[in-house]
Amino acid sequence: MSDELDEIQAIFFEECTEGLTTAEEGLSAMQAGDVSAEIIAGVFRAVHSIKGGAGAFGHTDLTAFAHKFENVLDEVRAGKIAPTPGVVKVMLSSFDILSDHVAAARGTGPRPNDAATLVLLEQVLANKGVDGDDAGAPAAAAPAPEPTAAPAGEADEFGFVPVGVSLDDFDAPASEPAPLGNWIVRFGPSRAALANAGEPLLVIREVESLGGWIESVDTSALPGLRDLDCEDSYFVWTLGVPGEVEQSMIADCFDFVPPDSIVEITRAEVAAPAPAPAAEEADEFGFTPVGVSLDDFDVPAPEAAPVAPALKLVEPAVEEAAAKAAPERAAAAEAAQTIRVDLGKLDLLLNLVGELVIRNSILADRLSPADQQRVELPELARLTRQIQDNVMSLRAQPIKQAFSRVPRMLRDLSTETGKKILLETTGETTEVDKGVIEKIGDPLTHMIRNAADHGLESAEERIAAGKSPEGTIKLSAEQRGARIFVRVSDNGRGIDRERVKAKAIEKGIIPADAQLTNEEIDQLICAPGFSTAATISNISGRGVGMDVVRSNVEALGGRLEISSTPGQGTSFTMVLPLTLAILDGMIVRLAGQRFVLPLSNVLETVQPEPGQVKRTSPDSEVIDMRGSYVPVKRATEIFGLNDDRAIEDSLVVIVESESAGRVGLVVDTIDDRREVVIKSLDQNLHPIRGLGGATILGDGSIALILDIEALVASPTRYTPKGLAA
Amino acid sequence: MSTNDNAAAADRKIVTFSLGKQTFGIDMTALIEIREWDEPTPLPNVPSFIKGVTNLRGNVIPVVGLAERLGWEPSVIHARSCILVVNIAGKQAGFLVDEVNDIVGIGAAEVQPAPEVETIEASVIAGLVRIATRAKDGTKDENGTMVLLLDLDALSLTRHLDLAA
Repeated sequence: MSDELDEIQAIFFEECTEGLTTAEEGLSAMQAGDVSAEIIAGVFRAVHSIKGGAGAFGHTDLTAFAHKFENVLDEVRAGKIAPTPGVVKVMLSSFDILSDHVAAARGTGPRPNDAATLVLLEQVLANKGVDGDDAGAPAAAAPAPEPTAAPAGEADEFGFVPVGVSLDDFDAPASEPAPLGNWIVRFGPSRAALANAGEPLLVIREVESLGGWIESVDTSALPGLRDLDCEDSYFVWTLGVPGEVEQSMIADCFDFVPPDSIVEITRAEVAAPAPAPAAEEADEFGFTPVGVSLDDFDVPAPEAAPVAPALKLVEPAVEEAAAKAAPERAAAAEAAQTIRVDLGKLDLLLNLVGELVIRNSILADRLSPADQQRVELPELARLTRQIQDNVMSLRAQPIKQAFSRVPRMLRDLSTETGKKILLETTGETTEVDKGVIEKIGDPLTHMIRNAADHGLESAEERIAAGKSPEGTIKLSAEQRGARIFVRVSDNGRGIDRERVKAKAIEKGIIPADAQLTNEEIDQLICAPGFSTAATISNISGRGVGMDVVRSNVEALGGRLEISSTPGQGTSFTMVLPLTLAILDGMIVRLAGQRFVLPLSNVLETVQPEPGQVKRTSPDSEVIDMRGSYVPVKRATEIFGLNDDRAIEDSLVVIVESESAGRVGLVVDTIDDRREVVIKSLDQNLHPIRGLGGATILGDGSIALILDIEALVASPTRYTPKGLAA
Repeated sequence: MSTNDNAAAADRKIVTFSLGKQTFGIDMTALIEIREWDEPTPLPNVPSFIKGVTNLRGNVIPVVGLAERLGWEPSVIHARSCILVVNIAGKQAGFLVDEVNDIVGIGAAEVQPAPEVETIEASVIAGLVRIATRAKDGTKDENGTMVLLLDLDALSLTRHLDLAA
């Protein structure tokens, strides 16, 4: 039983995470000036559902804070508080505290001190009365009530109470004359509507998106508990829509409702419409089935229903009904279009598909050439590939998930360092394998910290250097071919190469007389044990160095690029594989052993003529490629394999590398070309420089996957990493 | 795997195997399977005790020359050479051993501490224990054999590599 509870609680926390992400996006948009009703409502919903869940699980601190936060959002939503930059700032810091509360409830963080923020929220709420009247006026354009009748003081009083509407409250608005000329829509979903997942809540929300609201719900058809058919529909809603909305737009909302449902759209009379008796009916059931949209807040009745969102009031109704009626309806509202799948299951599926691919090629290997041409086999291969592609796409997630924690981090960093930092984010919709997203979190965090702490100068220094006092950190992601480029760049001081070199010599990382290119010096900051920070700050002295960033990125089969212009800034780019699992590869032999060369790097293959490969020094060679000299690397030498094959008996595969441009790799022969499933070496061992992993070939044997970038990069002498000894 | 476990944790089963003339033991619970020797795929740029990687039902696992890893003469492959696949702190590895001998139960009280030795790393020998051995004809060998109990966590490959780096 408690296991079940834990499970449900785990789902709640997952939803919290999603809710926080949504809220943060919304708040960031508001900060950037987009204060549309949609954005505000999104933030409100997110905070609201966190509060709801927290209440259910007894996280009182979280509930209390979320409640207060929600009140402010509610007022903003209702137009009672203008979302000025000041208010948005309070909301952002409230958001931070809310995240901390969630972490505390989850047991992953201490309980935050929210007193100061609560005071700020109170202040915002207290100032509302004045703003309220002003902001209320434009909203009044819709249902056209008399704003004068609503004393600000009373609105205040009710603005704090988002739930717990007493029945009396409902008689009042219902008995008020409806605004002239509004649409009145009667909507009674049929049994067939429910059977076809025609979720009434979604339809009503659709109506709400047109500015509509729920006038009342007729529950008179609801039978006693004994006769209740939980798959049938008993409610008839009376909805109001502002008069200026076109009838066809309202009708569109009901497009997917089966024709046997009640859908009547009429112009309201001046006199009170029908809902009043319905409200009385509601009394019988002891719950409040009437939803009130925020527009109702402007209804002059002094006892106007609180500004609680329609969503809020509809949900209790659904929940209450669910206890008696159809429980799956509430569930359906939540589940909408997606399902949650345990990542473990997805990974298992991925592994199985990987095995399927392997078995497929074993089968192909074992069949005679004639049989291989038969229709069934290519068809099977095609299907397998489709399954594989689809399973892979299941794991693809927008990189936004990894980026979402950056704004918060920068706000904290900004406070800690006293530097003003602007964040520009691009490409957050780029889709990347879930595994990549999970693993770039830490490197990304450190790169951001590094940029904020070391990259950007203090405001005074920046002004002295003739720059704007605010530093900018750009975070971008883009896909190029089979690789994802995730870049963190700042417009700070750039890498001080003299200091880096001096430090590296001091630390014994390089010999004192080493001649290094700028790129090599830049790479030194990733050497283990290297830190140029004059004082180890709270921010980047936390035991995660740039060497960890680099090794994390390399463990993912990627690499870290650094570029820096003194005085203008530094950028760190993680070049990552799109997927961690499948690779289009060329099977080559080195000293007889099979290796996989990622096909995405391969440009062409050459059978060298005598004299085409020339030595430029005792241990470097070039190949003459139609007049241009391309450096040649012997992987066998890099790997210490015995190979006395003459160059003329070998093949040179010209590969395109990010770091060294075109390079020729000497291989014995090329066996095959196929898709391979990447198995990481560090799962059971550790990453090995020069290898991107291993794969299992059709015959069950293992071939190692070459990491072109690491192979062609400058020799490993300055990067005493791993076992190259 | 510490030697001063209290008596309540008493009986445990160990797998004994030989490397050269020595007999070693590891906890049964760490053992995944025993496989025949099959030449692994060699890896570049690794210490010589890592013989390469092999395919364990879709998992790529390293194969370690255990004798070499422990500082003894490297094992010579012969007909009874086999690979003990073990789980060390969640990672899987295969150990090349000369011969697998037996599975025996030992009590915690029977384990004696291993003498301190001067090595570059923490001792991989968790303790010594004497076990009765069966002679070929089934009779008991009164003298028994000394088994060196291995501390698998100390043998962890990545840990060793960290030390080397």
